[in-house]
Amino acid sequence: MTKGKVNIRTIVAVLALLGGVAYLIVSSISETGVYYRTVSEVLASPTLDRALRVSGKVVEGTVNVNQERLFLAFEVSDLEDRTKTLKAIYSGVVPDAFKEDAEVILEGSYDRASNTFNAVTLLAKCPSKYVADASQTEASAEKEHGR
Amino acid sequence: MSQFGSYTIYLALAFSLASIVALLLGVSKNDFRYLLSGRRSLAFTALFTTLAAAAMTYLFAADRFDIEYVYSYSDRALPLFYKLTAFWAGQRGSLLFWAWVLSLFALVVVYNTRQDLENRTTPYIYLVLGGTLSFFLYLLATISDPFAVIPGGVVPPDGKGLNPLLQNPGMIFHPPTLFLGYVGFTVPFAYAVAAMVTGKVDETWLRKTRIWNVLSWVFLSIGIILGGQWAYVELGWGGYWAWDPVENASFIPWLVATAFIHTAIIQERRNIMRVWNMVLIVLTFVLCIFGTYLVRSGILQSVHDFGATGLGGFFLFFMFFVMLVGIVLISASYRDLRTDHSLESFLSRESTFLFNNVVLLALAFSTLFGTMFPLISEAVTGNKLTVSQPFFNRVNTPLFLSLILITGLCPLIGWRKASTDNLKKNFLMPLAAMGSGTAVLFVLGVRGVYPLLAFALSIFVAATIGREFWSGTRARARLTGEGALVAFPRLLWNMRRRYGGFVAHLGMVLMVIGITGSNAYKVENQATLQKGQSMSVGEYTLRYDRLGKYSDRNREVYVATLAVFREGQPVGVIRPEKRFYSKADQPTTEVSLRSTLLEDLYVTMPTIGDRTVVTVRAAVNPLVIWVWIGAFIMVGGGVMAVIPRWKRKGEIREIPES
Repeated sequence: MTKGKVNIRTIVAVLALLGGVAYLIVSSISETGVYYRTVSEVLASPTLDRALRVSGKVVEGTVNVNQERLFLAFEVSDLEDRTKTLKAIYSGVVPDAFKEDAEVILEGSYDRASNTFNAVTLLAKCPSKYVADASQTEASAEKEHGR
Repeated sequence: MSQFGSYTIYLALAFSLASIVALLLGVSKNDFRYLLSGRRSLAFTALFTTLAAAAMTYLFAADRFDIEYVYSYSDRALPLFYKLTAFWAGQRGSLLFWAWVLSLFALVVVYNTRQDLENRTTPYIYLVLGGTLSFFLYLLATISDPFAVIPGGVVPPDGKGLNPLLQNPGMIFHPPTLFLGYVGFTVPFAYAVAAMVTGKVDETWLRKTRIWNVLSWVFLSIGIILGGQWAYVELGWGGYWAWDPVENASFIPWLVATAFIHTAIIQERRNIMRVWNMVLIVLTFVLCIFGTYLVRSGILQSVHDFGATGLGGFFLFFMFFVMLVGIVLISASYRDLRTDHSLESFLSRESTFLFNNVVLLALAFSTLFGTMFPLISEAVTGNKLTVSQPFFNRVNTPLFLSLILITGLCPLIGWRKASTDNLKKNFLMPLAAMGSGTAVLFVLGVRGVYPLLAFALSIFVAATIGREFWSGTRARARLTGEGALVAFPRLLWNMRRRYGGFVAHLGMVLMVIGITGSNAYKVENQATLQKGQSMSVGEYTLRYDRLGKYSDRNREVYVATLAVFREGQPVGVIRPEKRFYSKADQPTTEVSLRSTLLEDLYVTMPTIGDRTVVTVRAAVNPLVIWVWIGAFIMVGGGVMAVIPRWKRKGEIREIPES
């Protein structure tokens, strides 16, 4: 494909295609993009018009499960500042890794008036059991067996 | 034994570095003896890397929990074959596996080129292989030592165990096949670099690496599909693909590799797109390294996020280095790579290959962009904006549909320049088939733009392939006097290179049908049931009859028995499970499937409550099985296309120039 012999129609078609792809990407980001926030950031930010993804920790003693109605309510604290919390409600089945003190990622919308996060999806992460980070493995190995 | 393991890594590294030195000396001094010792060093690298892999396997089998890696991923209660597959459960073992496979591939290349040491390209091929090996062996010898013992000399009585999600037959095949694919592309990359360094940039390197390209693509495809199947039966959310960052990390090189194996055909046939192919093979190799890196680096949140270490810098450096080498070599040999020929016409088979490439690369780009977007947006705006499934579905679905369209157009348009008369004749049957098939589907109640389009295009492509099969069979039958039933398989076998491609496309069409059906017509329901209660999903009714419990090896398993009725008729029972592993602090939800050619009934039991009350989640996933069948046919087509022709006795061999 050299010496300017490439058919002009081919070039136009390729450019049109690439333009279409660029448009799709840009428009899809503005329509499906989700802000990733910590609990503190959610509490602090003034405007929240977009869908949110929030990571935090399940506060001990706040989990309320209604298996009959497949309803789950709990409080989530900031990963670093444990005093900052918000309420979360979720309809659906409880993920396997969900429990008190587990790290969770919620996706949904936040209502400031009631300080409640209405989660559409709920992901739970098992606490660092399988993290193979060298330093952590060593530390935990020592903790468990070094005595 | 752990020291033995470490020593083998050190020796392997020493030999791979020695091979680099010897080869460089050999090339610069033009001394055959150095080249010979460089090649021998490469073979020794393979020997010691193999011993390291054997040592690792032994350590797992022997429950040597003084080794940090074994301690982290195994325990005594683990069944033996999971102990052995725990080899690649973590990042260190994965890197060792990478290095081991690459060293074996290097050995194969050494064997294949045993007569070719006079050939000027051969030392450079060895150099690239030795260099890549050295990189991985260096990581294994330093920051990612799989044989490291737990500091302080403590020997834990038992290991931490393998993540229950990894205790699935998928663990045996999914990671190794994916790695075989990743590693395999190192060989064509090495040939491409050697071709550019020596200025022998004709299509020789492509012909010699065709089998590597296609088989690596086959392994990558199998790896991705097995991953999807594993997710489907193990993760319990009813899907096989979530545009998860690590899924994307394997899918992006697959897309570029797919583009590459298509334009490689063009270069072999028409001797055009030579620059383009060099770009694609460099990109494929870099993306394979990137995929390996992404799985184990933990820079992105993902279901595969089983580990994190400070490997990132090394990998980024290596990728950057490879890119740089690629850019320098391609621009330096640009003159040689340029060709006088070009795409002559818009309406030609060549241009359908070009558009296939544009679309595949656009898919690769949008997938890469979406995957990296959180990092990009945080760096640019300070806000972490993430995109997930909706983004990928929105952007990639139209691209996939145009890709299917191009697949159908390609065989209908002749090489070079197609005449209008010809086109009319060729398009008639496939278009008629598409029109009538789509009308039937519409009458049957298929609605929605994307599903209708996907099915219509699938019919179109299937019709064009059927047309190829038919005209080929007819021509052969006429020529040989065979009946159609004899002529057709013989045609496929004798012209397997050509028809292998069509078979692969046919597999792709079946996958499209499965993907469309399972996405557009999925029905779901969930309910909390007491014994004797029923729930319905689609045309099925499930009656909860019993809750049982059993324990085996390293776990306790609760199993619910539900009677299944379809349109009121009993069709059997289904048994979702909840497994509590002794070494894990979270249970796993085990899917129970009732699979037919038409639909899958997919049942899980996410929660067991008080007094045997259970929560059941059920879904009807239409046509899912065609995703697996289609994938099987697709990779079968790939394999078929590279089965070598039997060599005749007394074959004519070209005499080397030197």
